[in-house]
Amino acid sequence: MKNPYEVLGVREGASEEEIKKAYRELVKKYHPDQYRDNPLSKLAEEKLREVNEAYDYLMKKGTGGFGQNTHGGSGYRDTGNNGNIFNQVRSNINSGNIAAAEDMLNRMSNRTAEWYFLKGLVFLRKGWYDEAYSHIQTAVNMDPGNFEYRNVYNNLNNSYRNYRTDAYRRGYNNQGPDLCTLCQCLWCSDCCCECMGGDLISCC
Amino acid sequence: MFGYVLPEKPELKIREYETFRAYYCGICKSMGKRYGQISRMTLNYDSVFLAILLSSIAGEIPQMKRERCIAHPMKKKYVVRKSDIVDYASDINLILAYYKLKDNWKDEHNLLSGGGILLLKSAHEKLKKKYPEKCAIIEDKLKELNELETSKCNSMDKAAEPFARIMEEVICFEPLCDDEEREKLLRVIGYNLGKYIYILDAYDDIEDDIKNNSYNVFIYQFDINKNNLMDYKLSIRDRIDFNLTYALGEISRACKQLELKVNSGIIENIVYFGMLRKMEHILKAGSCKKVEESL
Repeated sequence: MKNPYEVLGVREGASEEEIKKAYRELVKKYHPDQYRDNPLSKLAEEKLREVNEAYDYLMKKGTGGFGQNTHGGSGYRDTGNNGNIFNQVRSNINSGNIAAAEDMLNRMSNRTAEWYFLKGLVFLRKGWYDEAYSHIQTAVNMDPGNFEYRNVYNNLNNSYRNYRTDAYRRGYNNQGPDLCTLCQCLWCSDCCCECMGGDLISCC
Repeated sequence: MFGYVLPEKPELKIREYETFRAYYCGICKSMGKRYGQISRMTLNYDSVFLAILLSSIAGEIPQMKRERCIAHPMKKKYVVRKSDIVDYASDINLILAYYKLKDNWKDEHNLLSGGGILLLKSAHEKLKKKYPEKCAIIEDKLKELNELETSKCNSMDKAAEPFARIMEEVICFEPLCDDEEREKLLRVIGYNLGKYIYILDAYDDIEDDIKNNSYNVFIYQFDINKNNLMDYKLSIRDRIDFNLTYALGEISRACKQLELKVNSGIIENIVYFGMLRKMEHILKAGSCKKVEESL
């Protein structure tokens, strides 16, 4: 799913009123009535569906309390003291001081989604992909609405896919008949022939 | 080293295949000449990759000669001669082979590895003098690995770390590390290569390790069902696949950034085909186990 804020064209953390307003305008814009007998009707339909999905998503999340989403702006900062430490951890990660970031995280006892996320980033920088993946996955599960977490999670999966795509494009073929499949083929053909009354390999 | 890093033969050009063989023979002969005939028994494909990668970065065009050898007395083959990089790769081959034998001896006490240690002892003493820092780091990391094993480490990342660091150290051929950026990329390749080898080897050894009651990180990381090993291996396969492919992805990215001046075709073959093939082969549980192609 695309970032619903982007789909609706509002800033992240926008108020319920702003979202409703943007939604009404977009619905008017993409309404099927506007595109009758128009080659763009398919596209408009697609857009409208996206807009509806994004709106539903944000409203559902909203009933859980937009209030809790006080992280505001970029949508990841935690509240209170932790937020401050998390910011320091982030700047440590960005400047490449992984050991310091890890040390700070290890000293924290309150393991929120953001804690798992940042720990995952630290692991990723260290080259510990397995731990990185499971930590970031935990962060996504704890806070499914957070796009930053989801983004990194998707990037991990993409990076895994990119290498394979590269290999396939260069001509890697994973269907190449290895010795096993060849034997199986022979054996199967022999069985079939025997069933039909003939024989392919006479000795067995 | 374990021989998990090798090219996919059908995809090599004939010329590339000859070059690969020439490096292989070059390393073998370089060892034999400097450390005695016995040392040639330790020859391993991984060190051939090391030699080809390093000479590609250095832009060294291999000097090839046609020579005979004990293994193929009838036919003359191309051999890479007079290359510092080939000498370096054969030194590394020997150093790692020695430590591997020591490790085997400690675990299993079989006569083969015991005898090997005795025979390679003097060569190893020479190498230790030649590369004091590298050997110290390797010994240090092996000690770490030992500690992780005795404490029954249950994280594949943690368990693979020492070996990955060893490979990182080994790939740093001094004369090529004058450029900081290049050294960084080489270290990325080494680290991920080590990771790939360690994890793949551990997965490949699960059955044996259970039978022999030896340490294997996966037995501790994932709850094992000893009655149905096949299902167990299948259930953790995707996760292993992710880790291995991610490591290969990092290697390929670093290779793209490095300027590969000669033989880039062979390196790409190994990085994109050979290692991926080897990994898929081992992960494909239940298929024929040993199709170790001799190149």
